[in-house]
Amino acid sequence: MTPFRLRILTPEGVAFDGEAEMITVRTTVGDKGILARHEPYVAALGIGQAKVRIDGETRIAAVSSGSIEVSKDVTTLLAQSFEWADEIDLQRAEKAQQMAEENIERYKNDKRRLDIAEYKLKRAINRINVASLKK
Amino acid sequence: MASGNMKDIKRRVKSVESTMQITKAMELVASSKLRKAKKRAEEARPFFEAQYELMCRIAGETEGFSTVFTRRREVKNRLFIVIAGDRGMAGGYNTNIIKLVAAAHEKDKVKPKIIAIGKKAVDYYNKHGYEVVAEYPGLAETIKTADAADISMMALDMFTEGVVDEIQIFFTQFTSALVQTATQMGIIPVNPPVGTAVPVNKAGTTYDPSPEAVFNRVIPRLVASIILCAVNESYASEQGARRTAMENATDNAEEMIGTLSLLYNRARQEKITNELNEIVSGANAL
Repeated sequence: MTPFRLRILTPEGVAFDGEAEMITVRTTVGDKGILARHEPYVAALGIGQAKVRIDGETRIAAVSSGSIEVSKDVTTLLAQSFEWADEIDLQRAEKAQQMAEENIERYKNDKRRLDIAEYKLKRAINRINVASLKK
Repeated sequence: MASGNMKDIKRRVKSVESTMQITKAMELVASSKLRKAKKRAEEARPFFEAQYELMCRIAGETEGFSTVFTRRREVKNRLFIVIAGDRGMAGGYNTNIIKLVAAAHEKDKVKPKIIAIGKKAVDYYNKHGYEVVAEYPGLAETIKTADAADISMMALDMFTEGVVDEIQIFFTQFTSALVQTATQMGIIPVNPPVGTAVPVNKAGTTYDPSPEAVFNRVIPRLVASIILCAVNESYASEQGARRTAMENATDNAEEMIGTLSLLYNRARQEKITNELNEIVSGANAL
């Protein structure tokens, strides 16, 4: 397959910058696969997995909210966090899940804090799921 | 009398010396922390820039672009996110930012609501009768993306719920180890350069589901990365300011020790001369 340039950026730095053959991401309106020479495209991402095919090998990563932007010569994935399946710290994710569940219980009446706790729970569950896939 | 004076001087030299040891140590700690902070600030920058470009692209490509985050409304309440340090001994670092905030709302009838980051900001705004909606002491050194996202979500909720009509951030921009500037920046409403770079959707970009929807999803991320960058910049500035302040303190201490040793030597000499005089005049009298 024809490769194209893919950049994956997070606030912690550059997670990936190189040639990829395909990327599948979970946007807010559904899964979307992108190949080389895709039309210009912009979408927001939810919490989910991303599959990136590099040199015929598919790698899975956990993504939490961001955006994907296809331009003529580069596709950019901006994510609040992006972790390859084998990089995920399962223990930390499980701890985060537990803490989020406790917070949901504690902040039942505080919508703002509840929103944050629910969001964190979703993220933690996503990371645990991705970690258990590991390619 | 001379010997008492000498003792005094000696004691002062000792105390200045021990202060100098502390300032010297603080200078070293600050410079190593500065190095780390600079690296972190640089790592966050490409993400921020890409995000900003994306925002400009969406707003610039779309005709009649307008969302809840770009529309201006009458400003009754403002939210200030203020980033100061967790410790003092950093020259004008903390005072400069607090002064800038004070100048920014001088003419307002109501005091702004405050999100205080850094112990010095938390203490100051609680003490001076501001409404502090959230406080984050001791966050700057170890701030994570998730922390910035929490703050961003809270601030934007306040905006969309109509609790505040404007959000501004106050941080210290890191220019170099010697130059740091207290900076005020408007975050919300966003002011994207509408219809500038690219002619209206000439690129034929598809937006899923719509430019406005994507934009509104991007904004919380953008605000989070503004906060993260601002905190990183401020933290680097704090270390830079502290290093300079401590370097000056060490230099001053050295100078003081120099002056004091001169005084001490003079006093010592005077004492010896006096003693000699006494012996000579005593011998003469015999």
